[in-house]
Formats: sequence, structure tokens, C-alpha cells
Amino acid sequence: MSGTVAYAELAVTTNYSFLRGASHPRELVETAARHGYAAIGIADRNTLAGVVRAHAAWQEIEDEKPKLLIGARLVFADGTPDILAYPADKAAYGRLCRMLSTGKLRAPKGECVLGLGDLLRWQEGLLLVVMPPQPGRTQGVPPFKKTWNNYLAEEEGGGGIQPPKPENNLRANFEEIQSLIRKLVSIAPGRVWLGVSMPHRGDDLRRLCKWQRVARAASVPLLATNDVLYHAPERRALQDVVTCIREHVALNDAGRLLEANAERHLKPPDEMMKLFASAPDAIAQTVRFADRIAFSLDQLEYNYPDEPVPPGKTAQQHLEDLSWEGAATRYPGGVPDKVRAALTKELRLIGEMRIAPYFLTVHDIVGFARRRNILCQGRGSAANSAVCYVLGITAVDPMQIDLLFERFVSRERKEPPDIDVDFEHERREEVIQDIYARYGRHRAALAATVICYRPRSAIRETGKVFGLTEDVTVALASGVWGSWGSALKEREVRQGHLDPYNLLIARAVTAANELIGFPRHLSQHVGGFVLTRDRLDEIVPIGPAAMEDRYFIEWDKDDIDTLRMMKVDVLALGMLTCIRKAFDLMAVHSGMKMDLAGVPREDPAVYDMLCQADAVGVFQVESRAQMNMLPRLRPREFYDLVIEVAIVRPGPIQGDMVHPYLRRRSGQEKIDYPAPSPQHGPPDELYQVLNKTMGVPLFQEQAMKLAIVAAKFTPEEANGLRRAMATFRNVGTINRFKEKLVGGMTARGYEQDYAERCFRQIEGFGSYGFPESHAASFAHLAYVSAWIKRHHPAAFACALLNAQPMGFYAPAEIVRDAREHGVEVRHVDVNFSAWDNTLEPCEGGLALRLGLRQIDGFKEDWATILLAHRSNRYDAVEDIARRARLPKRALVILAEADSFQSISIDRREILWAVHRLSDSEGLPLFDAQYVEVQEPEILAPLPVMRLSEHVLADYQMLRLSLRAHLMEFLRDLFRGEGVVSCGDITRAPDGARAACAGIVLTRQMPGEAGVVFITLSDETGIANVVVWPRLVKTFRREIMGSRLLLVEGKIQRSPEGVVHLVAERALDRTNELERLSEDAAGAPSMRSLAGGHIHRHPRNVRVIPKSRDFH
Amino acid sequence: MRLTAVDRKATSLGLYVGQPLANARAMLPALKVMAANEPADLKLLERIADWCDGFTPFVALDPPRGLLLDVTGAAHLFGGEQAMLGRLCASLQKQGFKVRGALASTATAARALARCQDGTVVPPGGEAASLAPLPIEALNLDPVTTHAFRRAGLKTIGQMASRGRAELTARFGAQLVFTLDHALGQTEKPISPRLPLPDYCAERRFAEPVVTQDTILSTLASLAASLSEVLERHGEGARRLEAVFFRADGTVRHIAVETGSPTREPAVIALLFREKLDALADPIDPGFGFDLIRLAASRAERCDAAGFGADAKEKKEIRFLVDRLAARFGSHRILSFQPNDTHIPEAAFVAVPAQYAEASKLSWEKIREAREAPRRPLRLLASPEPVTVQQGEKLHFRWRHVLHVAAHLEGPERIAMEWWRHQTPQPTRDYFRVEDEEGRRFWLYREGETPRWFLHGMFA
Repeated sequence: MSGTVAYAELAVTTNYSFLRGASHPRELVETAARHGYAAIGIADRNTLAGVVRAHAAWQEIEDEKPKLLIGARLVFADGTPDILAYPADKAAYGRLCRMLSTGKLRAPKGECVLGLGDLLRWQEGLLLVVMPPQPGRTQGVPPFKKTWNNYLAEEEGGGGIQPPKPENNLRANFEEIQSLIRKLVSIAPGRVWLGVSMPHRGDDLRRLCKWQRVARAASVPLLATNDVLYHAPERRALQDVVTCIREHVALNDAGRLLEANAERHLKPPDEMMKLFASAPDAIAQTVRFADRIAFSLDQLEYNYPDEPVPPGKTAQQHLEDLSWEGAATRYPGGVPDKVRAALTKELRLIGEMRIAPYFLTVHDIVGFARRRNILCQGRGSAANSAVCYVLGITAVDPMQIDLLFERFVSRERKEPPDIDVDFEHERREEVIQDIYARYGRHRAALAATVICYRPRSAIRETGKVFGLTEDVTVALASGVWGSWGSALKEREVRQGHLDPYNLLIARAVTAANELIGFPRHLSQHVGGFVLTRDRLDEIVPIGPAAMEDRYFIEWDKDDIDTLRMMKVDVLALGMLTCIRKAFDLMAVHSGMKMDLAGVPREDPAVYDMLCQADAVGVFQVESRAQMNMLPRLRPREFYDLVIEVAIVRPGPIQGDMVHPYLRRRSGQEKIDYPAPSPQHGPPDELYQVLNKTMGVPLFQEQAMKLAIVAAKFTPEEANGLRRAMATFRNVGTINRFKEKLVGGMTARGYEQDYAERCFRQIEGFGSYGFPESHAASFAHLAYVSAWIKRHHPAAFACALLNAQPMGFYAPAEIVRDAREHGVEVRHVDVNFSAWDNTLEPCEGGLALRLGLRQIDGFKEDWATILLAHRSNRYDAVEDIARRARLPKRALVILAEADSFQSISIDRREILWAVHRLSDSEGLPLFDAQYVEVQEPEILAPLPVMRLSEHVLADYQMLRLSLRAHLMEFLRDLFRGEGVVSCGDITRAPDGARAACAGIVLTRQMPGEAGVVFITLSDETGIANVVVWPRLVKTFRREIMGSRLLLVEGKIQRSPEGVVHLVAERALDRTNELERLSEDAAGAPSMRSLAGGHIHRHPRNVRVIPKSRDFH
Repeated sequence: MRLTAVDRKATSLGLYVGQPLANARAMLPALKVMAANEPADLKLLERIADWCDGFTPFVALDPPRGLLLDVTGAAHLFGGEQAMLGRLCASLQKQGFKVRGALASTATAARALARCQDGTVVPPGGEAASLAPLPIEALNLDPVTTHAFRRAGLKTIGQMASRGRAELTARFGAQLVFTLDHALGQTEKPISPRLPLPDYCAERRFAEPVVTQDTILSTLASLAASLSEVLERHGEGARRLEAVFFRADGTVRHIAVETGSPTREPAVIALLFREKLDALADPIDPGFGFDLIRLAASRAERCDAAGFGADAKEKKEIRFLVDRLAARFGSHRILSFQPNDTHIPEAAFVAVPAQYAEASKLSWEKIREAREAPRRPLRLLASPEPVTVQQGEKLHFRWRHVLHVAAHLEGPERIAMEWWRHQTPQPTRDYFRVEDEEGRRFWLYREGETPRWFLHGMFA
């Protein structure tokens, strides 16, 4: 604390004025506290996006702290000088929000267009500081667009926006300011100030004198500011960099776009006093200004919408009625005692916490979906309660799994519960529009997501600013492949073959490191809805999103948490679409009415299937890692699936909890519970926490509970720990928590090693944690999808194909899996296929008919036309051309995909015939040459198409072939080289050496360890390849670039029969695929002749579908 | 971004034209790439075409990387067709290019063969036979058509040619059949040789070689007049003019002048050449006289009709003066100041050749507002000079042994140095405007922790 001068800084720009401010709100607030400011006001450009961050930082300061003022710097599109607006009370704050919303709604996403008229309309209760423009500096107002006023016509009473006057000399400004002040004073007497700063321009004192005269003449007080852009002078460099990014110039060319000096930081009050020595009242005025503000974000009271509650009832009554009603429906044979007890308990707790409206709102939203027959399921901390089950929000029967509700709704913290609802991804939009229709756009909006600079974007942008060539920047950026959130390190710079001590690169990297974590722009949250009873746009400004008819607020989910507002996540889940489609197919073809809760439970056949890792397409357990886990874990009941879903996650893996669990499960290890020293507590204190999972913590909340029980964290601390992990915000906090957790546990007598593993696990949970409730919801979907797969494989494959893209597997694998399960799959045909894949009755059940959507490049409109004119059937290609009048391109695609099989069997002849048809789109090139009726042609036969070419063409058009696998044609070649098939690999003994070649299906690089998992496929099945990091380095080109990969290595077979080929060498054999298109006659391939200078048809470039890669 | 060309090494590593850059980088993080520069490639191709003029005047571009030469009647000069092709390719190879070539009766056939069978010379009438085994890609058809043929199983030019012409026309149009027939040597299509770029040029031949300076100058003047007419017709003016003097004995002398703005007045042009010829260190020597003098505008630009108003006239006169001086002394010696966009006072201006000065769009920073004293001196000292300062009641400073006592002082204007340009951080400067007791005004600055003072300039 310094001196006795009382000073408040009001013109503070944070980095939420994107690419203008160069400090985080937290840094500014903390610095203000350190300097002993009386108050600090956050005023970003036409936004309140950063104020909650400032508020959160302010709350955390424990010592004496400055008052935090919430405001905005209004930047006008009509040439009016900037005005700082600070609401004096809550009502005025609401008006400020409304005004900013108005400005945002008339502009495209991310912009805000305001005119002085808007301020005059909403000024009541706002304290206004006129900020004269700094001479020679532009305000950065976007060029005036006439269309802005089009919006105004629709707004009642909004002041029109006039284009700014062109003159911009000091004198004109001077007069303009005077008249502006006069206008404001007449409308808002006593609430207008004139802000001045001392930017060290040489003539500061003279200007100060002038403004003193102006202020005196208009009798408004002069207010001292430093027009702050960053918290400390060291940030000048970064401020220069962000200015350059904003203006798209390099530092060397930026010139006077940059500030002349580093003065625009928070200065100690006595320094401000010195600067304003000749106008001490301007300093004193800042404190008087701050004193007049009686608004703080704490006053924002969030209220739940009350729509769902019928008049005359309280929300609690209504919820109780609905719950018991629902319970009666769910348990027609009478509500079991266990459920009855749970319901009573939960309802009592909900009543105590007064969160009934929240459950009702979620119930309401789920109701929309139910009425429209959209599948949905809730998850999240409060979702797996008995109440949610009986309300139909979830389908996890509380009889099946017992979840302790109060564990997730913490009574102490008064935090709103958290329920996410997944909907069918293709139909979520309907739900969203229903929400808007019911609550109105002023009461419902999406949360924002703050898009921050990540290492890659940061280095790319700063690289440009420093004039580094794109080559260098890309090299730097690619060094951080896949690593998020952490800073660029010297090692990574070296990886890009660049010298980290090169001054330019070092500076660029330093600036990039500082830039990481800076907000870049706001974007809509995937589905987090904020709903209120009163106007939402009086709590926070709302603006349009890039998507039409979407609106989002300026705060993200952390901000919403900070202010304890409620959010319902309306999310999209592909698997629900798939399940819905499967249910529909089952209803049509087998007459079964199904819903999520109605699927027969605990079917042993389903578990048998899963134990064999037969899980292609099954939700959550179809990934490589999960498929490896299934035979080890051998799920036999629902709770096993819950564990299965949760165990293959970074948390348990990093905490090394997987193997202990498996050993205990298979009885190889005794189940025991780590215990503290006797003097510190009972030896079974962890039994309660861990008994469900055999003493091994697997779920996120177990880890949290562990921190509370074993390391004596308070619930708040445990929650803080979870949050610190979720957003690697700052390393300092994490280390503090680590010391506390590990120290706390060892002090109480737990083993050091165990404590550290627990911490690592919590670390792993951070970003991808799965709480038990969450896992239970997902496990339920996994069970449902597995049940469909087991009992209705045709419907399952069909639905899965129609819900693409989703999941891990490409259509080729789904089709292959279906055929292995005895499903007959039929080729696309113009006479039988619809747009979607369909089921057709066949001997012994249902056959899967591939749909037109499987054909690459074929459009849905074409399919509609084709089907509309099909009536009975098409008899000839000309028939289609005449009746459906599809563009020739469409017909060529159909012919190439061999979908005329019901008309003629020869693919080439059909194709040749199609090329002769005239184009209904009437390309001028072809116009003259065709007549409507064509003479029959007598043609020499075309060369016969070999099977390998057929298969290749199938792959090119459909990404799959029902005829054969590409590898069959190369089998002889590879056998000659001693390369075995994937099937041989699965049968090979542990430790054997083998070489295997196949089409690359997937490449995965989970986590940061650098191990790559590759799935190879051939006609005999698939083989799993593991490439250790060292080898990845050596064979990177082959691993990343091959479509057909040959791997030599060692077989690794686990006791459960999971087989891996551990790579020792990798060879790119993609070129072999070209053999397939060569005719026996042997037209030389063009590539071998011309060295790659020939332009190839895109289809030929993509000989086989690209593998699906996950990083 | 996609790869547009790959070298042999890259091809051997599996990279190919059309591959997305990101994929290539994923395979080879250390991959070196250069941005494609199509105009530069085309320029290079044109330069090679120019060079080929030595073999035949009929050279056509076949972009992006082909040249077509019509060598009808020229081959015998080089010892036959095979020898000519060999020599052409060999000399290009020597220049560092990778070359493939073939010779046939039609351009299409030659092109196809060059792509697939380097060095082939097809005897007249042998096209069909030589082309038959080639893949259809050799015809360079559009990818869609090529793909259609491949898919139909017609993968060589021979297979394509075996189909009926009506059959092909019905499917792919007459153009394809025409190309095919052309390739097979069954139709003729002349190549269109490159045209010289439109050029502004006037020349006069003399039956009797001219020798005297006067005649030369008056010739230039009249050439300037006719050149000016052509330029005016096209609404252009010359930025660079070149006079070429062809001496009767075969030596040629080029003399060029440049102008600061597009010019086409004959008098001006003549005067510029007079200045230039006068000032030549190595005067032109007519020897036995010139039999041809050519005047060409080797760089021309859009030239709008001269502006109006006194200002325009004044500007024009200045420009003309600059051009004349530049013609005489060299354009690098006639300089003018240009504003430079920076806060650093000594870097805020740069001296550039006056003829190019127009280009800058930046205006000078205002150093004074109306009715105010200037914020900065008009001229600065060549480099800031240290002064010793005693700060008492008033600021005293000693500069060049003379003590000045500040009567008035305003500041500081704080200017921080451009941090990214310097190895070590440079101190921030605080500038002061100082008026001494005798009314002289100085611009002083102070820098550093323990302040050091400098005088940077004086106000007039």
C-alpha cells in the first residue's frame, strides 16, 4: 500500500476488449489491490464479457481490496467520442445490458453498433465519463454501414445512427466534445464527467488546462484516468503485438499504430497525483465517482423460470406430484420400498435447497422432446437421481444402481445442480427452437464459450507479427502437435529445427507464451442454455451467434458458475439418433415399440457378446482401448458396464488404478482398503468411499471424496481442486493442491506412493473426468446399443450407417461386421434403394439394402427426384433420364457406383451408355450434339472389368465393397514376401515375430505419451498395431502417410487373448494399390511414366477412403 | 494448401502433386516448401521460349511447363530432326532444366510422346502406331473424361482410337474426337506462336548513316513526337525510355532515361535525352555513323490527362526538374524526404530517390496544430549531442561549451524505443521543449536511470 492518496481508476480495458487490452482482468484487479486503489472500474469496449472474471478475482482477494465497479466503454459507430458508462444501481445495470444487446443484435456476430441515440434512450442511472479522443489516434470504429439503420426501423424509439463527420482535427473535436457534454448534461444532470489522461505526449499540461476550462464552462467535474490498457509497463510489448494482430500488420510496419510509450498501465495513486498535480480535484473526483456506485455483480439474483408450474401450486408441490405420478407409471407393480425411500429423501433435499424449479425446467424441456418423439437422456451430477428417473429425464433405474443424491447436490455450497440432456443430434435444433418459442429470446440464450489463444494459434499469429515466414511459424506450431494449454517449450522449438536463441524467434515465442490463454473471441457454447424468469438481457448482454436464429450471452460456463446462475446443457448425441433410427426400423419391420427405458435389462446374451469384444458400433465401448478392456473386465451386469465406461479414461489410467482393479476383480489380489495410522482415524474410513469399486478409486467423485476423507479437504477445497484441474489455469494453484493432498494423506499415515497415485488420477480426471452418474447414463446407452446389436443386427447396422458420421468405424467396417453377424447386405440399386439405408425382408430375416447416401458425391435432392419418379421400377437407363431428368453427373455417379444392377449387369456398358445421355442441366458444350430420342447403337464390347477393378471402383464410390476386400488381390504378392494376414496375427502365439499388411483403418494417438495405435484391415479381419514413440519418430512418414501399411514386429498376447502387433518396422506400400486398376493387357500406369506431373482425377487420388484419425 | 510441384526426392518419399500440405507435413515435419509463384514460372517459361527462338521463330507456350516448336523447314539446319531434338534438349539440360521432348507431325502427338516417351521422333504417318500404347492421360484431357475412359476399360490411346468416332462424339463431344485425330496425325492444327508484347516503339532508318550530334538530337525529337502519339492513343505515358543506336558496323548502344511520372510530351522526352547524352561519362561514338535509331518506351503506365490548377502545374514543374536532374546526375543522386511511420524522431523520415518518391501514401505527421507552436523541430541534428545539465531552480544546460538557462520548459513527451529492433533494451526518452533566457528554443531529451541529457534539435 502506498501513500495516502485515494484514487480510483475507471478507464480500464482488459483483454476482453479483444486485441486491445493486454492484461487479464485478474491481473488488473490484483494490481489495483496491490497499489491500494480505492476502486477499479472495468470498462471494456461495448462488452461486459470480462467483468465476471474480474469479479471472481476480486472475490478471491482476502486482504483489503478496492471496490470493483462494473461498466463498459461505449464506442459509437456514429463518431461520438467514447463514453464510459457505469451503472449506479441494478436497474441501470439492466439498462446497460439492454443497450449493449440492442447494439449487438443489429450487428453481425461479435460486433456491437451503437449510436448516441441509444445512450440517450438507456442513460437513466448510468454515470457517464466522456473520454476525449487522444489526438492523432483513431478510435477503431468500424466503417459506417447504412444497413445498420435498417434494423433501427424495426426498433421502437431507438435513436438513428448518423454517419460520423469526416473532420478530425483537434479543434473540431474540441467543439464536438463541448456540445456532447452540453447534450448529456441536459439529459443526465449530475451524472456526467469529463475524463482526462496524461499520456506523456509533451503537451499534457496544456491539454489538461484546456479540458479544465471546458469542464468548468459546462460545470461538469474533471475526472483523472490513465486510460489503462495493461496492468504493468512490461506488457507494452504484448500490447504492441496484439495491436499488430488486430491491424494485420507486422511490427516493423506498424509505426504509429502502436503506442508511443509504455505509460498506459495501472500507476500507483501517488504517481497519478503527481501527474495531476495541477488538477488535484480530478483525482479526488475519481473516489467520489466510485462512491456513487451502489452496484455489484453480487446483486444479480438469478431466478428460475416459473412456466412449468401451474397456477395455485408451488414448484415444490408440483414437482412432488409429478414425481409420484411418474413413479406410479415407471413401476406399475407398485413403487419398490427402496425407490420410495430414495424419492422421499431426494424431494426433501430439493425442497430444502429450493431447486424444484430447476428439475421442473429440465422436465419441461424433456417434455418437448418427448412430444416430438425425440430420444433424450439426462446425465450430470444430479441426473441419476430417483427423481430424474421417475420424471423420465433419465433411464437408469435407481433399483439397478444406487447413487447417493446428496453427494452431488452439495447442501453447503448452494450451488445449482447440474443436469445435461443429450438429444438426437439430427433433431436437437427442434428442441432449441422449442425452448426459444416457450421462453422467448429475451429470457433464453446459450452460454458463451471463450475461445482463447492456444499454443498453435498464438505462435501462428505472433509469428506473423514478427515477420517470421510462414514456414518457420508452421514449424514452430507443429512442434506443439496435440498439446494444449501448455506453453511452448524450448524442446518444441528445437523440434521444429529452429534455434530458440535466435532473438527474433525467442521474442516471438515469448510473446506467444504470454498470449496463450488470452481470449480471442466469444463463441456459442455447444448447448448450455441459460433460462430465467425475468429478462435475461437485463442480466447480461445477448448477441447473435454465427448460426442463424441462435443467440448467446457474453458469459461462459465458469462465469455462470461464479454468479450461481443455472444452465441446462442441451447437447447432441449421435448415438441417440442411431438408437432412435434402430427403434423405428424395429417398429416397422418387427412391430416392436421400444424406448430407452423399455429395453429388457440384464440380458446375458448381450453380456456374452460384449465379453468377446464384439462391440463394433456399440456406444462408448467400441474404441480400441475399450475393446481390449472388455475381455479383461468381462462385464456381467449393468454396474460392470458403468465401470467399463469409466475405467478406460485418462484419470484411472494416469493414476495407475486400472491394473489393481482388474487384479482384484479376477481374484488375483486381495481387496483391501488403504488406512490411515490408527491415531488419525478408523481403518475403514475409505471403505464407504471405495467399496463399490473393490477398493480402487475409479470415479471422479470417489477421488474427490478421497481428498475429503483421507486428506481432510473441506468440500469447497475439493471442489476447488476439481476446478483447478479442469482448467489448467495456473500451475501455482495445482502445486499447492498437490502438496496439500499428498502431504495431508501421508501425514495421516497413508503411503506416499498411494497418495501420489491418487493425485495423478485427479489430474487425469481434470479434463476428461467421468463421474459415476455420468458413466451410468452412458453405460445405459452402451447397454441399449449392445442389446440392439445382439438381437437386431440388421436394424443396428442400418441405423448406424444412417446416423453417420459418428463413432469410430467407417461404413466399410460396419457393413463387414454386420455380414459377419449373418446380415445379408445388398448393393445400392436405383430400383430398390432409398436415400437412407433400409431393411428388406429376405430368407431368414431382414437384409440391409445400402442407400443412395452411401454413394460419395450423390446428393439428397437427386435421391428425392429419383424416388419420386420410380413408381414401379425403371427398366432402362434412358428411362431414368427421361422420367427423372436427373443431371448427367448424377447418372454417371449412379453408374459408377454400379447401382443399375437390376437393369443390366454390366457396369461398363451401363456407364458407357450413361455417358451418351444428354444432360438435363443442359451444359452448352453438349447441347447441340444430342437429340432427345437416340438411335440405338451397335457397339463393340468394352474390355471386361476385372474383379479387382470392380472392388476398387466400389471403394472409390461407396468406400466399401460387398464383392471382396482389396487385400485379397494382393494376397499372393504379400504371401510371397512372407507377410501374413490379420487373421493369422490373431492366432499367432505370444512373442512370435510376424509381418502383416493391411489397409489403415484408424490411427490414434491418445494423450501426450506419443504412442500410436493403428488398426489394419484385410480380408480376414483386423489387426491391432502398437507403435512406441521412439518408432513413431523413425517411421513417422510411413505411419502418417500410408493407406496400405506393412508392419513388422512382435506379437504380444495378453492372458485374456487380446493380441497386439508391436511394430518394429513400418513400410508404406500404398503404391501396390495401383496394381489393382491395371488391366491384364497392362496399360502402363501414368504415374510411373511422368513422375507425378499429371493431374489426377480426385477419385483416383483417393484410391481408398482416408483412414479415420484421432489425435 | 496443396502441393503444386514436388522434386524427385519428395516423389520418392511418397509426396505427390495435389496432396494437402498438412498431410505432407504430417508425414515429413521437416519438409521444406516454397510458395508457388505462377507468374514467375510463366516468366521463366517465356524466357526459355525466347531462347528457343534461336531454333525456330514459331514457338508457342504450352503452360504450365511445356513449349511447342514448329520446326517445319528448320530441322535441316541442325542436321536432321533427331539431331535437332537432341541438341535442343541437351542445351536446355545444360542450363539446369529437366527436359523431355518428342517430335511428331502434330503438336498433340508430340506433346503426348514427350510426356511418355522422351526423345521419340515419329516419322510422318507413324503417329497412330507410336501413340497406340500410350495411356490416355498422355492426351491431357480433363480429369473427368480421362476417368470415364479408364472406368470403361479404355486405358490406352489405341483402345480409345478403336472406338467409333460417332460413339465418342456422342459421349464426349466433337472436341475430344478432334484432339484424338490431331494426336493421331489425321488432322492439322497450326500452333499459335507467341506474339511480342505490345510495345511503344518508333524508329528511323537512314540511307546515309548519320554522324552529327545535331542530327541525332533532332531525330530523337521527331521520334519522340511519333512515340508520343502512340502513347496518347493508348492513354499511357512512359516511365522508362530507351534510345537504341545501331551503328553501321553492327555495334549497338542502348541509352535509357527514367521519369518520375508517366510522361509523353515530346519536348520533355527530347530534353531528357539531351541532358543524358550531355552527361554521359562515355559519350556515344557514332564512328561511321548510325543507320538506325530507335526510341522505345520500355516501361509505360497509365497516364491520365494532366491535372488542373496552379498546384498541379507547380508539381509538374518540380517533377520535370527532378527528371532533368536525374537524367544528368543519375536518379540515385536526386533525393527527397519521405515520411516514415514511426514514433522515433530520427527515423521519422527517410531520403529516397526523388523519382520514386510519389509512391508513398503516408502523409507527414502534423507537428503543429493551428495557433500552436510546433511540437518537434523541422530539422534534427545529425545525431543527438550530449549536453551537461544542472537542475536547480531552473534547468541549466551546457551545449558546445555554451551555457543555456531554460526560461520555459514543456514536457515530457515520452518516447519508448522500438523494443523488437534491438538486441538489448534501449532507454526510453523524455523529450522537452526548452526556451532559454535569450529566446532560443531547443529540443532536449533525457534518458536512462541516471539521466543523461541530449540535444536533438533546435526550433527555428
